[in-house]
This record gives sequence, C-alpha cells and structure tokens, in this order.
Amino acid sequence: MSLKNDQFLHISDSITNPYITEWLANGKKVLGYYCTYIPDELLHAANLLLFRIRATGNTSMNLVDVYMVRFTCSFVRATFDMALRGIYDFLDGILICNSCDHSRRMFELFDLKVFGRENFPKPASQFYYSIPHVITDEGFEWYYTEIQELKAELEEKYILETITNQNLLETINIYNKNRELLRKIHEMRIIDTPKITGSEALQISMSNNSVPKEVANRELERILNSLKESEGVKSNGKRIMLVGSEVDNTDFTGLIEDSGALIVSDFLCFGTRNFLDDVHLGFELDPLKSIVERVYYRISCPRMMDDHERRLNFMKNEIKRANVDGVILQRINNCDLHGCDNMLYVHELKDLEIPVLNLDREFYQADTTRLQTRIEAFLEMI
Amino acid sequence: MNTTVKMENKIAPYQMLLDAMETTHELVEKILPETGIPSLKIGLEEIIPVVRKDIEKAREGVPIVGYHFAFQADYLKCFDCVPICLEGVSYFLSTLLINGVEKYYDVIGNWGHPFHTCSAQKGAMGMSLENLYHFDAIITPTAPCDSTCASYPFFKYEKKFPLIIADMPFLHDEKSYEYYAEQLKLSLYSLGEVIGQEPDFDKMRKALEVENEVSKLRMELFDLIKAVPSPIENIFNPIAAASTVFISGAPENISFYSRILEIAKSRYKNNNHHGGEERIRSIWPYMVTFFDISLCEWLDRELGMSVLLDIFNYNLSDPIDTKSDLDTLFYGMARKAMGWPMVKQSTEFYYPFLDDCIRMAKDFSADCFIYTQSIACKQFGGIPQLLREALRDEVGIPMLVIDFDVGDARITSAKAIKDKISMFVQTLL
Ligand code: SF4
Ligand code: SF4
Repeated sequence: MSLKNDQFLHISDSITNPYITEWLANGKKVLGYYCTYIPDELLHAANLLLFRIRATGNTSMNLVDVYMVRFTCSFVRATFDMALRGIYDFLDGILICNSCDHSRRMFELFDLKVFGRENFPKPASQFYYSIPHVITDEGFEWYYTEIQELKAELEEKYILETITNQNLLETINIYNKNRELLRKIHEMRIIDTPKITGSEALQISMSNNSVPKEVANRELERILNSLKESEGVKSNGKRIMLVGSEVDNTDFTGLIEDSGALIVSDFLCFGTRNFLDDVHLGFELDPLKSIVERVYYRISCPRMMDDHERRLNFMKNEIKRANVDGVILQRINNCDLHGCDNMLYVHELKDLEIPVLNLDREFYQADTTRLQTRIEAFLEMI
Repeated sequence: MNTTVKMENKIAPYQMLLDAMETTHELVEKILPETGIPSLKIGLEEIIPVVRKDIEKAREGVPIVGYHFAFQADYLKCFDCVPICLEGVSYFLSTLLINGVEKYYDVIGNWGHPFHTCSAQKGAMGMSLENLYHFDAIITPTAPCDSTCASYPFFKYEKKFPLIIADMPFLHDEKSYEYYAEQLKLSLYSLGEVIGQEPDFDKMRKALEVENEVSKLRMELFDLIKAVPSPIENIFNPIAAASTVFISGAPENISFYSRILEIAKSRYKNNNHHGGEERIRSIWPYMVTFFDISLCEWLDRELGMSVLLDIFNYNLSDPIDTKSDLDTLFYGMARKAMGWPMVKQSTEFYYPFLDDCIRMAKDFSADCFIYTQSIACKQFGGIPQLLREALRDEVGIPMLVIDFDVGDARITSAKAIKDKISMFVQTLL
C-alpha cells in the first residue's frame, strides 16, 4: 500500500485546506504560530485551530525583500512573502515567542504590514510569550507564569469565559492520543523494512499541523492501520537521520531520498521533536502546569543553550534504535541556532565514527545540483 | 616554561591587545599634534593602565573570567578576578592589528562554525580553538541575540570551560526585571562557586557607584552633543565603547568622561568642530566599523559628517540605588542590564526602538540616519525598512542602509562603505 495518493498527506501540498475553510465558516478562529515551544492543548481548549506557519510552494521573495534583510532565514522570509501576498489572510491572529531572532520579529512585521494592512479582512490579534533559553526550575516558573497570562488573554480576547481544568484534560487526551499515533507511525519508519519514507513522514507531520486534531487523529489512525498491511518501502538506500533547521519542503527530503537514501528518522521541529513527549498529569492535577512541563522539559532544540548534551544523547540513541547509517545535518543559511549546534555534532559524531554530512542550504530549492552532488558523494562514502 | 608565563598565556589575546594599544598610543603621542584626536589619546591613556594591571593579576594566578559584553563588567567586581570581555577583545584587536583578527574567524570557520554568526564571538572562539585563551569560567546572559545563544555552548561543550548563564527574558516590564535580578544574583553565586570565591557585594557596590558617576557625566556630554556643531569627534563613539568594555567600574572611567567633557565644553564654547566644518549630522542607530575606525576621521574631516550617536551611546540608564538592600540593588542592576546597548533594542519589540530613533532625530537635529546592518544581528533583520518609513514620515529625513560585518572587512570593505556614504551624501547636500 502506498501513501502516494493519500488525501491526508496532500493537505500538506497547500497552505489552506477544506478543514480550515469549514472551521472558519462555522465562525471559529485560526491562529498561526512558528515554533514548537507552544502549549498546544491550551489553545485547542480555547477553541482555536492552530496552524503551523509554513512556506509550502513559495518561490518568490520579491515582497519580503523590502522588509527583511537578506541575512535572515529564508524560511521565515518565504512565509512573510506569502503573508504580504495575502496568503495568510485567513488567520485570526498569530502567536509568537522568542524562539529564534528571525521568527520572533514576525510579531511586529505581521502587526504593521499584514494585520495592519488597510484591506486585511478581519480584526486579528497577536500574542507573545517569552521562553527561557535555559532549562532550570526558575525558568520553568517563568514560563508557567507566561502561559497562565496567555490563558487569561485568550479567555478575554477569544472565548469570554474561563478555560476549565476539565477543558484542558479533554484536550490533553486528544493531544496525547495524537502524539501516540505519530509515535506509532514513527515506529513503522525506523524498522528494518520501513513502511513509510521520510518525505511521507514529513507530509503527515505537516498535514497534522494544519487541521483540527480530532480530524488528524482519525486520519492518523486510518493511515496507521493501512500501514500495518503494507509491505514496506522497497529500497536499498542508506538509512539516514535528518537533523537541523526547519524542513517543510518535500523537494528537499525528496532530493535526499532520490539520491539513494531513506530518511528513517529525524531531529526536526516538524518531526520527532513534536511527538516524543506526552503530557503527564502529576499528583497535583494541575493540567495547565503539566502542559507547560511537557513543552519546557521535552527534548529541546538548540535555542536551549544548556541542553546540547541531552540532544546529542537523543541522537545517539535514535541512531542505534533506527539503525541509522549516516546523519545529514543541515541548516538554512543564517540559522545561527542550528548552524552552531550542527558544528558541535559534526565533531562529536565523527568521534563516534558515525558518518556525517553537514549541509547549508536555502529554504527554497535553489542549488539542487550542488546539494545532490554532496549528498550522493556522502552516500557513496558511507 | 615557568608558572608566570603559563598564567599570562591564559589570556594571550589580552596581551596582544595591550601591546597593540601601547604601540598605537606611542604613535598617537609621537605623530599627532597636541590637538590631534583627543578621545583616542585620552581613551588609550585611561585604558592601558587598567589592562596592564589585569595582566599582572593574571600572572599572579587570579582567576580569569570571560564575559559577554552584555554582562556588565562592573558586576564582576564582586570577585578578585581578571574579567575578559570576549567580544570587546576580539573587536578591538580587529581595530588595532594590521590584519585584524580575520585569521581567527577563519580558524573557527574551518572548524565548522557558520559564517553568518557574530564576528566578535568568532574571534574569541578561534582564539580559544588555538588555545590562546584558558578561562576559569565564562559568564553570559542569554541576550542579545541568537548568535550569543548559539555560539557560547562551544566554550562549554568543546573547550570545557565552565559556562554560567544568566537567563534574560524578552520584553521590558517589572516581572522581567525581577526575574533577571534573580538570575544575576544566582549567576554570580554560581560563578563564585566555580572560581572558589564568595561574592563581595560591598566591593561591587563601589564599582556601581563609579558607574553612576559616569552616567551623570555621559548625560552632560549628550546634552552638549545636541549643539550644532557637535563638540565631539566621531572616534569618540568606538572609544567610548572600549571604555565601557575595559574600564567600567574603575575610576579611570570617570577620568575618561571628565576629560572628554572638558574638551566638549571648550569646543562648545568656541563653536568648534573637530573636522573644521560640520555639514551633516548623522545618527548611526547600530554602530560604526571596528575593523577600520579611521572611517570616523574620514567622515569628520572629508565629509564634515558628525556621528552624533551610535548604539553604544544612546542608552542612558538610571543610577543604581547602591545604598539599599541586596534585592533592590540587583533589581537596579537588572534594569541597567536590560537597558544596555544592543540588549535594550534586542529584548524588546521594535516599537520603542522606532520611537527612540524618532526622538533622537528630533532632539539631536539629525539630517540623516546611517544604518549599518550587521550580518550577524538577525534580531534587527526586520527593522531597516520600518525605521526608514518612520524617519521619513515623522521627521522627514532619509536613511542609508549598509550591510556589513563590524569586525570583518571582507564582507563590506571600508572603501565600499565610503563609496556608499559619499553617494548618499550627494543626495543630501
Ligand atoms: S528550531 Fe526550535 S526555536 Fe526554532 S522553530 Fe524549531 S522548535 Fe522553535
Ligand atoms: S530555521 Fe533556524 S532561523 Fe529559521 S525559523 Fe527555524 S530556528 Fe529560526
């Protein structure tokens, strides 16, 4: 069974989809966001549809060039170019945090140049919270307070009533279920004969972040069942783990897989980082606190300055678990966070004698031949 | 090798800096006339003895503490240590060494560090990789930028220097100040544990009082800069940055500002301009080049363009209340830290930055802005056009944007910068 023509996967091909249209037609609101350091369950409990902003299909930088210098991340630039062209006009608001310097500045830019546009179709709101750059008890308290304040803001701006613990418990169940399904699908990817390619896994993840979670859970369950019957991917390709900057483009994963590899695992924010950890309700039964605990203490990304060792350990375990032949590290040019973390990995993985390729690229597929040559040479070398 | 040399070798770049400053000072003394470039002369006179003293202390085995320029040097006065500003040393070496520190950018670049990060950190990383630095500890806030958060882990994970991090939140409000005050305190205690010393906060209070005094002098100076023509030469801007980095908390900083103030007052009284005639008044909301500070003289003398303010100078903090309890003291320190050059603009939304620029343009009667966009400072990547629009609409003045790297001439050379400014100036006059 192939997922090639699966309608759920194809949701990732475009920015909007029929579920969003229906959601909006029912008078409900959609909130855009950039970073996975997000208390998803809280927003869901506020009856919001969360849409992880991506730049799927974007080929132009004409408009954004006016507002963002070329030393900013081309992924963020591409999303903003789309926003300037009105493609994100369906949003009712945006949620920004200080994840990286590029995406956090979208708060002001969306405010002044998108939502503030004269013909923007509806009133839109902006939310901001600050996340510590280290993982400490004090940092947790800070973040928890930020999210409590966000909750109050959401109640005031959007739903005009209190989000109860019961609401939160219900959404925790939905999200834990969602992550469990994604983990199960991931299991089918890391086995000896994977049942799913890296590009398909990426599509699933993107679609999952573009529709209501109840819909996503139904679809993921269906896909999981069909995968169980599947014979698996016929490939003699090298088993690769893909790590680094934002990837929301199957052209890129396709390039790797067409070069004779299979991406059997990843360490990406549109990938494993999303679903490895669940919300665990503690004895206190404070669901909001438990939600924050998951986001804050989960496997981190390089924005957390003091957690590189834990990330490296995760990679080492995953390399074993998924029987990985080599690691492809990649950074979108100008992404300092991933670029520097990758620099450390290169040396650490080499010390462990794990083949590693460190790529720099643009979000859009500009230099395919160069990338392909480097990837092919790497795969041959493994 | 004897122990003395070994200790000194822990901070070889600092010794390189001292040598370079002494040579420059000699040249300034010998070549320039008495009326030459006073801020350069005074700056070197005040900074050199402090650096020399630090190197002597390093020889004696006092712990070497590397710090990020966004961590205030005077706060480290609670320890008996030699504080080395990683960014400051790297940038001022790029100013004073003939070939800058490009060699060290390449060392770390070849090791895999991305080219688009901050050259101030690249310099320090390359020097560490070459074993020119051996820090007993490094302390940094989590601001002002991704480049900081991304680069500093190298020191911990590759070089195994103990890294102490003070987490600085974004947005300037009461709860941020309180949180950062606590972070500052915790980080100083952690640093003390690493270097085996109890922080002596009374000693620190004295250094803070010195800086309170410096703040007052700076206020007075900035009032004078509002005058037309500006009574301060352009090179004061990078030298003032150097004084902040190397002599904060030391009496020499008071002396530096008092002497500069005297000169400014005298020029103000006589209506003098360092370059002869002031034709254009500019504000640089970011900074001038460090790899070639002769640009400052060229602007003054060739174009008659005054650089009234740059990012290091337009942050004036309230004095810290040094007489009260420790919590109040740290609260004041946190406020000052979050209002620090570059941190202030980076840990806030753009709106106050835009407002500040508009106010400065009006208060200082600026004719134009020159926005140097560093390739490393992604936190400013979305501001140039917004600022240009704001200045055009609110003050009616233009802004030139120049992409560059503060410490690396290979990104945009001094010649290219001069050409751009010359062309821009033609549209102004
Ligand atoms: S890399 Fe980290 S900070 Fe950047 S978007 Fe992903 S999760 Fe957020
Ligand atoms: S790829 Fe890097 S720079 Fe771009 S949004 Fe993600 S973390 Fe930020």
